[in-house]
Amino acid sequence: MIEFFQQFTNGLAVGGIYALIALGYTMVYGVLKLINFAHGDLFTFGSYLGMTFLISFALSGALPPVLAVVIMFLMVMGCVALSGYLLEKAAYLPLRHTPRLTAVVSALGASIFLQNAIMLFYGPNYEVYPDSLRISSSVNLLGLDVPVMRIIMLSISILLMLALYFFTQKTKLGTAIRAVATDQAAARLMGIDVNRIISLVFMIGPALGGAAGVLLGLYYGQIRYDMGTMYGLKAFIAAIIGGIGNIPGAMLGGMLLGVLEAMGAAYISPAWKDALAFLILIIILIFRPTGILGERTAEKI
Amino acid sequence: MKKIVALCVALLILPALSAFAANIKIGLMAPLTGSYASEGADMRRVVELLAEELNNKGGVNGSKIEIIVQDDGSDVKTAASAAQRLATSEVCAVIGTYGSAVTESAQNIYNRNKILHVATGSTSVRLSEKGFPYFFRTCPRDDEQGLVATSTLHKFGYKNIAILHDNTAYAVGLAEEIKAGLEKAGTAKIVAYDALQPNERDYSAILTRLRGAAPDVIFFTGYYPEAAMLLRQMREIGWKIPMYGGDATNNSDLIKIGGASVVAGFRLISPPMPGDLNSKAAADFILAYTNKYRAVPSSIWSVLAGDAFKVIVEAIGKTGSTDADKMADYLHTKLNNFEGLTGAISFDAKGDRVGDLYRLYEVNSRGEFVLQ
Repeated sequence: MIEFFQQFTNGLAVGGIYALIALGYTMVYGVLKLINFAHGDLFTFGSYLGMTFLISFALSGALPPVLAVVIMFLMVMGCVALSGYLLEKAAYLPLRHTPRLTAVVSALGASIFLQNAIMLFYGPNYEVYPDSLRISSSVNLLGLDVPVMRIIMLSISILLMLALYFFTQKTKLGTAIRAVATDQAAARLMGIDVNRIISLVFMIGPALGGAAGVLLGLYYGQIRYDMGTMYGLKAFIAAIIGGIGNIPGAMLGGMLLGVLEAMGAAYISPAWKDALAFLILIIILIFRPTGILGERTAEKI
Repeated sequence: MKKIVALCVALLILPALSAFAANIKIGLMAPLTGSYASEGADMRRVVELLAEELNNKGGVNGSKIEIIVQDDGSDVKTAASAAQRLATSEVCAVIGTYGSAVTESAQNIYNRNKILHVATGSTSVRLSEKGFPYFFRTCPRDDEQGLVATSTLHKFGYKNIAILHDNTAYAVGLAEEIKAGLEKAGTAKIVAYDALQPNERDYSAILTRLRGAAPDVIFFTGYYPEAAMLLRQMREIGWKIPMYGGDATNNSDLIKIGGASVVAGFRLISPPMPGDLNSKAAADFILAYTNKYRAVPSSIWSVLAGDAFKVIVEAIGKTGSTDADKMADYLHTKLNNFEGLTGAISFDAKGDRVGDLYRLYEVNSRGEFVLQ
């Protein structure tokens, strides 16, 4: 039983990362019906930016660690939000009124471009976050050894998700985002600047993805230019499991996928972990194509 | 008329002459990108340094050596196309590569094109069991590594052993060797035999699973990036049992990824490190390398690429030919205790290196590999 709960906490931590990335997919899909395949690479970009800020601005030495990490998070989220904004202007805005497949191809192109740009800039090797910021101890919770970093990681991702949830539900801008997602034409008639809202979505999603990248770097230490592909794919699955276009759905889907993967690794075989993730995707698509919390029928891409 | 004939003869001879003086091309297939990129960068430096030294001394048989580098991307598909490109660029021999699975995907192509192929870091047993006449390797084989691993585990008195591999050809092969060795000896119990998914970051699920089996040692047969992540995450969940690794964990990136304080105490079976080679040839080489690149080679595997270069040049020099059959015959039968960088080199009939090379190393708290 102890092992079961241990695996459960293992899964939650990975699930938090999946959920944060999945939010970016789901928000963009919600307003544009577009799968932003470059999102996984924006996540990688965030991870590399975090490392660069930590090392080159000597954030890790001059400031108290907590403050340094908070500042780095804000810087990375800002920079990745900006690149998300530019990405939308360069790769998606010119194609807004073309068939949807065109934009998907453009997204794939943007993904390949970003991944290779990161590789050419930082090199193809593993990069490592400075060790000084990591807390490698663990606490004992009800008989479980849970690493402190894991608790911090999960709390930060839940905090970010809650913030996003309240933003979309309780604020005027958030309401505008939901309005655009429901019906663009009607939203425009109500005086909402649709292009501005889409730009905003392309900033919030990547900012969260960038934050996930930094969390991953801080926790696992080791990052690589091509990691966005696999994490992006898993997060995409998570978004579909939860119901794509649905914000709480992405959170639920991410957590669920993380936990199911950990359980699969524990009780079937670790080598089957990825196969299991895709199997879950197939089962969901067959029996509940709208996802667990999704209302709309997912359209083919 | 005579003049014209003379001119014709001259025109006929000219290409032949220039062919004689032309460069001899040797291919290097190395992982310049991908998971093992740091190995590939070193392989290239080592081989290019040796080629430069040789060319400064006049080359071999009056010809200069030209190294043609292709990236195998640490990946079987990329390696196959790299091998195709090398095969069509008129190389007489190919050095490389590091990963066993990667070498395996290129083996057929070199064999079909009659190109001498000397692998450098690929220790999987099956590579030399296929009867390819032009295949050699300067590294030892996994069955020998398995024997040393088994006797080491036995020597330190471990009773409950967990074996972990990563599903690559090399790691599975070594894991099977160790498992068979332990079962034959019958002194220790294998409490877990499992695989992890390489190229991931979170190994907490597999560690929790292994912990449930209560081993008193883990032997990981995979590569350094995963070994480093395993050690970090073991530390985090507060699991303190020793971990041993195979020779693919021998890379200084292990320390970079894991951090010296975490990796300290990790033990690995490996051929001697560059700094522990005690011949004069090795010392001279390390000095030249350090002078040129301001660092020592990060692992033994790139030095073995240097040895591959040396035996190929020796074969070309002694046979006076770049014909693969003649060179392979020379290496199989006549090359005897050739002085390489990593010690005396001879090959058996399968093209495997003869002699025992494996040693036990431990990482100290400064992140250095110390010979035990």
